[in-house]
Amino acid sequence: MAACERLDGGALRELLARTQGVLFDCDGVLWNGERAVPGAPELLERLGRGGKAALFVSNNSRRSVAELAARFARLGFRGVAAEQLFSSALCAARLLSQRLPRPCPPGAVFVLGGDGLRGELRAAGLRLAGEEPGPVRAVLVGYDEHFSFAKLSEACAHLRDPDCLLVATDVDPWHPLSDGRTTPGTGSLTAAVETASGRRAVVVGKPSTYMFECITEHFGVDPARTLMVGDRLETDILFGHRCGLTTVLTLTGVSRLDQAQAYLAAGQLDLVPHYYVDSIADLIAGLAD
Amino acid sequence: MAEAGGDDGRCVRLSADRAQALLADVDTLLFDCDGVLWRGETAGPGAPEALTALRARGKRLGFVTNNSSKTREAYAEKLKRLGFGGPAGPGAGLEVFRTAYCAALYLRQRLEGGGVPAKAYVLGSQALAAELEAVGIASVGVGPEPLQGAGPGDWLAEPLEPGVGAVVVGFDPHFSYAKLTKAVRYLQQPGCLLVGTNMDNRLPLEGGSYIAGTGCLVRAVEMAAQRQAEIIGKPSRFIFDCVAKEFGLNPDRTVMVGDRLDTDILLGVTCGLKTILTLTGVSSLEDVKGNQQSDCSSRNKMVPDFYVDSIADLIPALED
Repeated sequence: MAACERLDGGALRELLARTQGVLFDCDGVLWNGERAVPGAPELLERLGRGGKAALFVSNNSRRSVAELAARFARLGFRGVAAEQLFSSALCAARLLSQRLPRPCPPGAVFVLGGDGLRGELRAAGLRLAGEEPGPVRAVLVGYDEHFSFAKLSEACAHLRDPDCLLVATDVDPWHPLSDGRTTPGTGSLTAAVETASGRRAVVVGKPSTYMFECITEHFGVDPARTLMVGDRLETDILFGHRCGLTTVLTLTGVSRLDQAQAYLAAGQLDLVPHYYVDSIADLIAGLAD
Repeated sequence: MAEAGGDDGRCVRLSADRAQALLADVDTLLFDCDGVLWRGETAGPGAPEALTALRARGKRLGFVTNNSSKTREAYAEKLKRLGFGGPAGPGAGLEVFRTAYCAALYLRQRLEGGGVPAKAYVLGSQALAAELEAVGIASVGVGPEPLQGAGPGDWLAEPLEPGVGAVVVGFDPHFSYAKLTKAVRYLQQPGCLLVGTNMDNRLPLEGGSYIAGTGCLVRAVEMAAQRQAEIIGKPSRFIFDCVAKEFGLNPDRTVMVGDRLDTDILLGVTCGLKTILTLTGVSSLEDVKGNQQSDCSSRNKMVPDFYVDSIADLIPALED
């Protein structure tokens, strides 16, 4: 039973000894804005040397995988390959490719989102509304700084067709900036589209388990020997529980320890991490030299 | 059409006989507008005649609408233009109760005594701003707001207006990510209220189509700010209390006529009015049946006493 225990000492060493692989969220775990969390690059290096796999699972739908890989490099993380990166943009492209006819008909996907997301969709062979005519068969809601009432209405018009899919890259309600201010997340835009259309979106990102399915298509993962490390209880930790992983909350991001403890007291155990650390650098001490 | 009406005896077709009996015991009829009297700019067939006949029989009429994009005067003018009559001149608009007007009254109550002139950040129309200003609340933010600069860091650095005590969310065709961001920033200031004019998810237009309603924008703000809004419009009581105060209503002798189970009918039930559902708008008899058969008690409430295909069905009961 998850009890939100501090992970250190013998428990840390034992846990890491039997761990084969670690799934990491990115924002608030590896970095905050343009600053790597101190010790994070070293942790990844040590995991690699210890023969443990590291994979990265991000709800951020602004970035294509290529942009995400560039960010790793820019912030001092070495040796991270594109194959290790699972963004909600990439997985949304995969989901739509699976559910739409192949080859993708022209103009099939109406996207509320930016260039990073669009690029990822095109790379998967999807064809976007607005670039060519064609009946829209799917509305994809992502992080969209240019979201407007007009776009909301257009999405609704497409969704009047009950066969038109409604997909959201994630439902994060807001995102923190490094100084404590927040920006509205895809979740707030998805709420608007769901409310107008009367439909529930299929959600790609955490806490939906879809990105785990994407991962296990490419990598053998034994949930009993895999950790999920994240900073947001309602996405990362819930995702980890749903996938049967051991969950670790790091306190360098969104969620606070008292919030986890409040969920524990309220019996909402799928939002309670098994363990917590102040930062992922604390995990280094658990790895054998 | 076969009669609906569950075992509980509700949602009975309002035949001419039943209508006569009902109207004998009623002084006031409150009408929703969109989907009841008109769709877009087209009056429902027979609807103007029904209202004329009601007025001729001495019934008081009130129009209770969640629409926040026109002023009271503009609404009264539309009623006239589409043949629904109503007092002209200085009395124009007195029958019309819009959430914008009631929201302004509510905010004046809540912001009074703050020691500074009241100010609100408004995601809404000029009409909404005008109602606020009419009760002494200054508005900022109406209209388009372009994103400044390159990224979140830039637009979050933009200065805020001082002294904003509330964020008001109404129907806003200029709604954008930038405005949503600004609204959240105001809401993060201590004591800032969040008020939504209504939660309608859609506005019906001609030809069966619709556009997104205010409810969508309220939900977006609630989600981004992680707060619940106080809602003025149907089915919240506030708008009815506003009408009742101005009209001096007796709920037992008042009928609510609407097209939406989750706003009009729920409001009527909550306030102890008799309720008539018209099938010319959002809700259908299947929706009623679903609510009657549901295990959920809040759904069970959303069942009208009577239904009509359209309000033109009232006319036979009003002919001598």
